[in-house]
Amino acid sequence: MRIFAVGNSFYGDDGVGVAVLDRIREDNTFPGTELIDVQTDALALLDHLAPGELNVVVDAAKMGLEPGAVAGFRPDEVKLKIQSDHLSMHGFGLAETFAMAQQLDRMPERMLIVGIEPERIEINQGLSDVVAAAVPRVISIIKAEVQPDD
Amino acid sequence: MSTNLDIKVKHLTRVEGHGNIVVNMKDGVLEKAQLDIVEAPRYFEAMLKGRSFHEAAIITSRICGICSLGHQLTSLKATEQALGLEVSEQTVLLRKLLVHGATLQSNVLHAYFLAAPDLLGVGSVFPLVGTHPEVVLRALRMKRLANDIGDVVSGRAVHPITPVPGGFTHIPSEKELLEIKRRLVEEMVPDYLATVETLKALAGAIPAFERDTEYISLRSDGDYALYDGDICSTDTGRIADGEYRKMTNEFIVPHSTSKHCKVSRSSYMVGALARWNNNHDRLCDVSMDAAEQLGLKPGCTNPYMNTIAQVVEAGHCALDSVAIIDQLLDNGLKDEQPNQEPTKFGTGIGATEVPRGILYHEYAYDRQGRITKANCIIPTGQNLANIDDDMKKLVPEIVDKTKEEITLHLEMLVRAYDPCISCSVHMLDVDFIE
Repeated sequence: MRIFAVGNSFYGDDGVGVAVLDRIREDNTFPGTELIDVQTDALALLDHLAPGELNVVVDAAKMGLEPGAVAGFRPDEVKLKIQSDHLSMHGFGLAETFAMAQQLDRMPERMLIVGIEPERIEINQGLSDVVAAAVPRVISIIKAEVQPDD
Repeated sequence: MSTNLDIKVKHLTRVEGHGNIVVNMKDGVLEKAQLDIVEAPRYFEAMLKGRSFHEAAIITSRICGICSLGHQLTSLKATEQALGLEVSEQTVLLRKLLVHGATLQSNVLHAYFLAAPDLLGVGSVFPLVGTHPEVVLRALRMKRLANDIGDVVSGRAVHPITPVPGGFTHIPSEKELLEIKRRLVEEMVPDYLATVETLKALAGAIPAFERDTEYISLRSDGDYALYDGDICSTDTGRIADGEYRKMTNEFIVPHSTSKHCKVSRSSYMVGALARWNNNHDRLCDVSMDAAEQLGLKPGCTNPYMNTIAQVVEAGHCALDSVAIIDQLLDNGLKDEQPNQEPTKFGTGIGATEVPRGILYHEYAYDRQGRITKANCIIPTGQNLANIDDDMKKLVPEIVDKTKEEITLHLEMLVRAYDPCISCSVHMLDVDFIE
């Protein structure tokens, strides 16, 4: 299994992915799992996605839910809004990266995205209380997805 | 001929952050041609105040997702100068390797994913995945290897960040460096040569536009200056990096939340084209050959050629990385500890060439090793006045074209500077399928 964090931990709740990786590392929740922080370079996922394994991506996501809400979904269950018009690479976004992975036939079969609805995305802010409180729920969703041989 | 023109491009695409192009011409008289910067200011300086010297580079590296390595190294240099921390030759070589990796990655991505769609007349890189998959895969391969240089040397993606004040907390192994060298020689060099071929086919689509300006970059006696050097201007020559305020002169303009800069003229340019104009004599043969094939000549005054200059210097980054690895291994890798014993607490300045131009950090430290004052001047801010001046000359020259063509020329102009207007924030926008 590989778990990826996308986001910038100096931008408030955008750092939730890194906070989740930190918690997993501290508690050794998934021994042997590769924990990869791609920071804001979502395109780097293409280099690390593992075809035969469970790939989990944790990111702040605007889902229209209450701040702090957590949802796990597969890429085909949602429409990720491609913002080709906002292709602000080198901050290539997650939606663009998945589109490219699909076009290049690099999308792993087992892929889970865990989105956390942010409360605030502002520079130099830590996680908001509601998003910090959501970290254990993110880990529970990942646990539920893991199979014995992952 | 169109004598009235009103162009507003809100949130220009394929640049980092939010900027609007605003052009207004009335009865043949250009009233306005400028890039409005509407992004909220970032206040780097306030963020750093009170932080310890151990934290400064960690914070600045996260300020901006796409310029993280540049901020990190510039910050370390400023801190080391302020605290009198000497670093070893091995540290400098490893940092130069990191700069090459970051420059290579950024330049390749800009050329393939941001500039090439314009030259091919498509709206984004996505259509190219279908029509030119081998080209997109090549770009991704080059990006990955450039990233891997960063991962091996600085531990970015999977390990804690290893560059710290005074050196590195972890030194890469000989085996890791040899593997990077092998891939540079066997994969990067052929991919680079193919890149030059691809761009050669597209170079004819680069607009012909000339405007002489002042070009400012670092310059060193030894190498193609990226990691350090004096500040060098095509107008006024060389000056020590400690004099950077004279070479920036920030000022406020109403249409931009980012300050503008000027030195000898109303504007100046930093970035790959400035580096090329000042330092082409320091480039390796492979880069000089690429420049010849791509029509890039010394003293180039076409800002659209910045993309070509990026590609040209990328070849040097690849080959000089091989030379640096050879030197590191010839010297023998030493498992050094970082030198973190301050010998003083004062002020220090770091100046580094990052992909978009010279980046300056200046810090003052108190006796507890905490930052009391910080000043950061980023390359895109330095280029903004130059972009405005380019637009003011360009618009009257292309006024016979359609509004759409004029708009595209203006967008391509701004994109050629590869501006990083904001730090990137990755928000995933999701609609659940019912």
